Order: sequence, then structure tokens, then C-alpha cells
Amino acid sequence: MKHLTEEEMIEHYYSEDFYKAETEIHLQACKPCSQAYAELGKLLGSVRAPEAPVRGPEYGEQVWQSIRGSLPRYQPKPKARLFHWPQLVYTAACLLLLAGAFLAGRIWEHTHTRPTVASNPQQAKERVVLFVLDNHLDRSERLLVQLNHAADDKGNVDLPLQAEAKQLLTDNRLYRQSITQTNDPVLAAALDHLERVLLEVANSPDGLDSAEIARIEKEMNTQGLLFQIRVLRTRVSEQTANAQALRKGATL
Amino acid sequence: MGNDDYELIRAVLAGDKDAYGQLVIRHSQSVFRVAFRITENEADAEEVVQETFLRCYSKLKDFDARANFRTWIYRIAMNCALDILKKHKSQAAMPIAEEYDSEQSTVQLADRSAGPDRLLLSQEIEARRKAAMEKLTPTERVAFALRHMEDRSTEEIATALGIAPNSAKQAVFRAVQKLRASLAPLWVKS
Repeated sequence: MKHLTEEEMIEHYYSEDFYKAETEIHLQACKPCSQAYAELGKLLGSVRAPEAPVRGPEYGEQVWQSIRGSLPRYQPKPKARLFHWPQLVYTAACLLLLAGAFLAGRIWEHTHTRPTVASNPQQAKERVVLFVLDNHLDRSERLLVQLNHAADDKGNVDLPLQAEAKQLLTDNRLYRQSITQTNDPVLAAALDHLERVLLEVANSPDGLDSAEIARIEKEMNTQGLLFQIRVLRTRVSEQTANAQALRKGATL
Repeated sequence: MGNDDYELIRAVLAGDKDAYGQLVIRHSQSVFRVAFRITENEADAEEVVQETFLRCYSKLKDFDARANFRTWIYRIAMNCALDILKKHKSQAAMPIAEEYDSEQSTVQLADRSAGPDRLLLSQEIEARRKAAMEKLTPTERVAFALRHMEDRSTEEIATALGIAPNSAKQAVFRAVQKLRASLAPLWVKS
């Protein structure tokens, strides 16, 4: 059995030991340690704090009067002024510099950007038309490709082409009317041709079989229309990209 | 209480010197008591009280509003007491340690064991204790007084004396060992 050291006993006496319970158990079990601890307790118990001489209620006042004369008065801190002249001038100079830099930037931007950015509602409208037209031509191209492939098949055709054609037909009417107002006869003619094809496909009374599709393809020259649409789509895509680039340049 | 102290401190720092008088009146009794327990000398304790309030005033602008003023002033008082003990220690000419060696103690107490006079024994213990306390180093003395008489934890003692907690603990151990060496013969004989 390991006995308690004097330091451990002192720690235990002042309740500063980490293992209070273990020490207590050991003290109960170990007679020599218990005896030594009892002696330590008796010894420390006999050491009492010396009684301080009584000081009357006037003692505080006496202390104060004895030191009062040697204490300098604290100077109250001057209230912080918000604006000192040097700070004000410095702030104004900074603001002027900032404003000058901003104005210079604006002037440089105006002189170095091309004036092709949409500056009126009409140009903005054209840009929107170009964007949606690009999408419309893409869908139309896919429909014509499906139509041409279906014509090559000899069996029954069961494709949702008619439903797609009906949707495209409605959109196509709107775009054709818009394009007619802009001076673009090629695009207007192509949309007109596309509308007739879509009309045929959408309103075919007996449904679409390969023979009917072949007829449409032959009579309405859908192969030629497909080529035309591809060319136009490429052109419209380029126009859309240019319009977007100009718009970004204008906002920078 | 704490908030009132802080309000007075603010007033002092704003230029109202007399507000400090209220702080002095409020805390001087307790500062005197703790100073006396450490120095065990009335004149020294008075000196500690004055020095404490003078130091406290000069450091008042550094007082952290979140701290407790009473605790703060106690720390200053302990340091002042320590300084006074160190000063006395360096001025002491006579080696007190020679006064009581264990053999001499046994001889001196031989008569005491014969009589049942507890009062005399208490006086003897007190005299021995005082003598033993005188033999302690200033740090040991302050550490023991704070631990044993003021019931302060090791951490608090370490903070007050500006030493590591382990150093504070060791100072208390050494003080107890020295006291034990001085007082144990009394118990053996009694």
C-alpha cells in the first residue's frame, strides 16, 4: 500500500486534491496515514488567524483624509470632436479623388464603347425576337429532320409530330408577323414556307403515315426548307450572340 | 455594490476626487483586516492600507469595468503587504531561526506537560506560531495567510502574487512544513 505524502495530506486538508474520495478511503484503511493526517489537522487547526484590532466606523474617513492631499485630480478626458480641420481636409481630398476617378471612368466608357447598343425600345424588341426566333428555328429544324427520316421508313409512322407541329405553327405565325415588319424578306419567306409545311403536318386528316409524309416532303420540298432553316438559324444565332456581347459591353 | 463601485470610479476618472473618498471609506476596514492577517502588525497593516489606496488611485484608469473592485483592491493590498514583509526581511539583523531549534523546544516545554493550563499552552502556541511565521519567506507567509486564514484557492493566490499556481502551492507546502517543524514539539509534549 502506498502511503500519502505530506503534500497530499496538506492538499487534502485544504480540499484541493483531485482524488478526494480515494484519499478518504485510504485514510480510513491506513492507520499510519490516518494518524499522520490527524496530527496535521490538529496542528493546522491550532493555527488561527490573528484577530485584527478593531477599527471604528471613522477609520475609513481617517484613511481618506491621510491620503487625500497627495492624490492629484484626474483630468476629465476632452470630448472627442468629430471633425478636426486636418481630418476634414484629408477626407474631402479623398472624396474628391474618388469622385474624379469615377467620372473619368464614366467618360472613358462612353468614348470607348460602340454605340450599337440598343438605345431605344425598338432595338430591344428586335433583340428579344432574335433570341426566341433562334429557339423556334432550332425546334423547327428538329421537326423537319424527324419528318425526313420518317419518310424514309416504309412502315407505319407513329410519331408525336402532329402535336409538335401544332405548337410550332402557332409560334411561327407570330414570328412571321414580327419579321414581316422588320426589313428581312429572306427570313420572312422561309417562315412563310415553314408555316405551310407545319399546317400540312398538323392538319393531315388521316394522320401521318410514311406515304403522307413522303407526299408532303415531295410537294413542299421539306429538304430544301431544312437547309434554308439551318442557314437562317446560323445567321440568327450569330446575331443573337453579337447582341448579347454588345449588351454586356454596355453594362460594364 | 459592484456597480456602485464602478460608478464611483467613473466619477473619479471624470475629475471628482472626493468620489474616491467613498471608495476608501467603503473598503478600508476589509483591507486593514487582510493586511493585518498577513503582516500581523498593526502599524504595518495601517501602512499597507494607505499604500494600497494610493496605488489603487494611480492605477484606477487601468481598472477593467468587468472586474470586481473588491477583488482588485485585495490583490493590490496583498502586493503591498508582500512588499512590506520583504522590506522588513531585508532589514532584519537578527537570525530568528536560531531562536527555536527542536531540541531547545523540547527542553522549554518540559514543564508545560506537567501542568494542565490550556491557556498557557495556547499562548505558547501563539508565540511559536508568530515566531514560525516570521521565519517564513514573504511569499510563503502571504501564500499561507491567504490559504489558511483567508480561505483563498491556489489559483487566486497565484493571481494575487503574480506567480504560477504550482509555485503558489509549493509556497503553501513549505509554509506548513516550517510551521509543523516549529509547532509539532508542543503537541508531542502536551
